[in-house]
Amino acid sequence: MATKRVGLGGITGSPRALAVVALVLVAMLGIPLLHNGYYENLARGILMYSAMALGWNIIGGYTGYVSFGNVVFFGLGCYTSAVLANAGIDNVWLAIPLAMIVAAIFAIVFGLPILRLRGHYFGIATLGIALAIEELVANVDALGGGTGVTLHQATWYSQYYYAMWLVCAGSLLATWLVARSKFGYGLVAIRENEDAAAVLGVNATHLKIGAWAISGMMAAAAGSVFAFATGFIDPPSAFSVDNNVFPIVMTILGGVGTVAGPVLGAFLLTAINETLWSHFPQIHTLFFGAVIVLVVLFLPRGLLYLQNSRGGWRAFVRSLAAYRV
Amino acid sequence: MAFLEIRNVGMRFGGLHALSDVSFDVERGSVVGLIGPNGSGKTTLMNVISGVHKPTSGSVSFGGRTIADVRTHDVCKLGIARTFQIVKPFANLTVRENVAVGAMFGRDGKKRSTSQAFEHASELLEIVSLARVADRPASELTIPDRKRLEVAKALALDPDVLLLDEVMAGLNASEVDEALDLLRSLSARGVTLIVVEHLMKAIMSVSTTIVVLAEGKKIAEGAPTEVTSTPAVIEAYLGARYVRRVEAARIAAEGAR
Repeated sequence: MATKRVGLGGITGSPRALAVVALVLVAMLGIPLLHNGYYENLARGILMYSAMALGWNIIGGYTGYVSFGNVVFFGLGCYTSAVLANAGIDNVWLAIPLAMIVAAIFAIVFGLPILRLRGHYFGIATLGIALAIEELVANVDALGGGTGVTLHQATWYSQYYYAMWLVCAGSLLATWLVARSKFGYGLVAIRENEDAAAVLGVNATHLKIGAWAISGMMAAAAGSVFAFATGFIDPPSAFSVDNNVFPIVMTILGGVGTVAGPVLGAFLLTAINETLWSHFPQIHTLFFGAVIVLVVLFLPRGLLYLQNSRGGWRAFVRSLAAYRV
Repeated sequence: MAFLEIRNVGMRFGGLHALSDVSFDVERGSVVGLIGPNGSGKTTLMNVISGVHKPTSGSVSFGGRTIADVRTHDVCKLGIARTFQIVKPFANLTVRENVAVGAMFGRDGKKRSTSQAFEHASELLEIVSLARVADRPASELTIPDRKRLEVAKALALDPDVLLLDEVMAGLNASEVDEALDLLRSLSARGVTLIVVEHLMKAIMSVSTTIVVLAEGKKIAEGAPTEVTSTPAVIEAYLGARYVRRVEAARIAAEGAR
């Protein structure tokens, strides 16, 4: 018997939104054929943020462990590429799997102690780790220290676009598979009530570490491509606050704990950011900050939840009314 | 060795002795009713048996394993499942998904695919009469339905021993009858039951053995009829003065004869 999905729509989220997102992704394969540098860079940025948001969504959205340090995986990915490039191996296709391995090891080593923490404490610990790793990298001369590393780029520049596309599509596919698996249901059970999940046989420690590793692998893969695509990496660019905060806001905007939500959020937020930036070059960050506040206030579970029959738009209007807007 | 052995279990929370020196055996296939006034330690004992609390003294062993040594998520794999008095549904999952999680990660979970877990969940929802709300979010359930969901989640773990903590509280008379029928059918399928309940009539009718707790101590154990006539039990429920009055009335009646 096919299980009917109602209410919050299982744990994959709306299949229609997923289909739309998948179609748009396929269409995006054609962007480099336009031979327009601006569009290609913009689209690559969307793909990058999509992958990072999908990554954050696994630990923050599905498992309910809000990480403020997922940028550390992005940075590790950047520096995996940098180390490879320094060694004369400027091959992005090799850098991606290596970065993912580094991220998985990092997630396991640091996940064991800090995934015991719950709620805000986990968030604070991840933030601490991200700041500490940035400082550490800035002080290791072999990694370029504070001055950074220049990566030699290949002549066929669009390969970095396709690499980022692959990372994004892979992350979307992986998320979809997670959301249809026992593993995914285990993560959601942990999010809903960790004690009750344990009583039902869910080994929370294993699942959380698995979730953080998958989460980190997505961000690291994005980072490894980003490093080659920009051609230069230093600690502030690899561990930037933007790269930490954007994926979280994008996931929240699109739909926390849904497959398509993070990608949708990445599209919307990038569009908003670009529009503000081009119209208000001096104060666009101010407007952007306001957008983030509005999203968190009025759409705390994301746009994809609005299309539910129940709650849905009415809940949105109610939340507007509650704030007397 | 008995099926499930509770040996000299003591549980202290700081200065509070929630349980002291509680021992009894549970035979395979029996229905043990655990009764006692409020605060007598029934739920604490359930927590110790199900491995949620480690006892400060004594032990609970099941099939040769000491429960305190087993991690919480492995207890159900031994064949022990429980419901919570304060229900803990996964609010944002549907009723069916709630149960399916148990079927995925419980004792036989490894043998089931995701879709088989959902099928099994649907069967269990029929048994506890929740099929009508299978696709509603658990957060929308009424209290009696939440209790039913707790039972279905516990059953999804394919237990040998099922601990039921006040699953009948808040049910009306006909719902209590349904619940009792459910307990009898579970018992008939060979599931050993340990039942905490305040509804005396209900628990007396379904239990093979009654264990009475008062202030953390076991004060009586035996068949339902034996236990209710034990003075210590009457005292625990109705107070020493009542026992003295009944006793005085009995002596007076004998004297008059």
